[in-house]
Amino acid sequence: MECNTCDSAPAITINVPDVVQVNLTMTPTANDMLASAFGEDRSHALLIGVLSGGCSGYMYDLQIVETTDQDCQELDVDGFRILIPNATSHLLDGIEIDYVEKMMGGGFKINNPGAESSCGCGESFS
Amino acid sequence: MGIIALNGYVLILRGNGILKFLDGISTNLVEGNCTTVFTTSIAKIIDMVEIIVMGEMVALVGHGPFKNQIVTHLSKRILGSNITIADASASNQIMLSTLDLVLDDSVTKIKTFRGWLLVGPKEKCPDVTMTNDEFNQYRVDNILPHQGHEITPNVHPLACGLGHLVHENKGCYIGQEILARMRSRGRQGKRLSRVENPAEDATTIGETHSLVLRK
Repeated sequence: MECNTCDSAPAITINVPDVVQVNLTMTPTANDMLASAFGEDRSHALLIGVLSGGCSGYMYDLQIVETTDQDCQELDVDGFRILIPNATSHLLDGIEIDYVEKMMGGGFKINNPGAESSCGCGESFS
Repeated sequence: MGIIALNGYVLILRGNGILKFLDGISTNLVEGNCTTVFTTSIAKIIDMVEIIVMGEMVALVGHGPFKNQIVTHLSKRILGSNITIADASASNQIMLSTLDLVLDDSVTKIKTFRGWLLVGPKEKCPDVTMTNDEFNQYRVDNILPHQGHEITPNVHPLACGLGHLVHENKGCYIGQEILARMRSRGRQGKRLSRVENPAEDATTIGETHSLVLRK
């Protein structure tokens, strides 16, 4: 098979969405949980990323990190450091970070007004 | 039977974690060479593609008229990763052979459920020996779906004979929730069938029988 490794074979241009300056809010429950997780230490941040996949196309990826090599915008929300990768900022503008208790245990939940749909388990959105 | 030239595309993906990326957005378990189906979040088909691992690169071979949709689908989900896509369609001939042939080394040969898929430079590929009508007859005889006939954006994989490409327990992928629900409830809607002629709803017409998608 010809794999087009020569210079004359141009790559398909992938339209990268514009970086959006993200606005987000946090519910009091989520605020309490982050305060409990971080304590007085504010050196760590909540990284809210998006991965491709899941039933609906995209999945949230929440991590507590000190630093990241991703190109991120850093927000201060109620005194907490929130990191949003610029590559996925267009999918996260306007989100609300919530924390919900379920039968299977508690966890952060993202309410995204920009999501057209989400799957039954709430892990994935489009 | 013989060899037919397909109207196909070849996309070359480069970057880290390509197989994992493709696994997360298509119906089959993608761990190496395989056939898989890309679907929308409502499980409608975008295209059925052959995934061919070529060292650091991965080739996607699909149906030409569906290329733009698949490129858009992939592009939206690359997000911040370093995956790039190149279009190698113009420099490759795509063929399907019903026989296992000995070919020039520059021609990639992959066994698929429809026969042997051949991808290579036009001058190195074998001659076409099968007409479209003969290919249709081969598909009717073996109940094999094809893009543009049974495999269209209007159906889900279970309805057009691609259920074997929908992995049952690989985890989440786009469209999985709907396909899993159809299976678990036994409500798969239409199925690919071979019926005697005449069939008003035929998707492929053979000499004595046709392929149809029926409930």
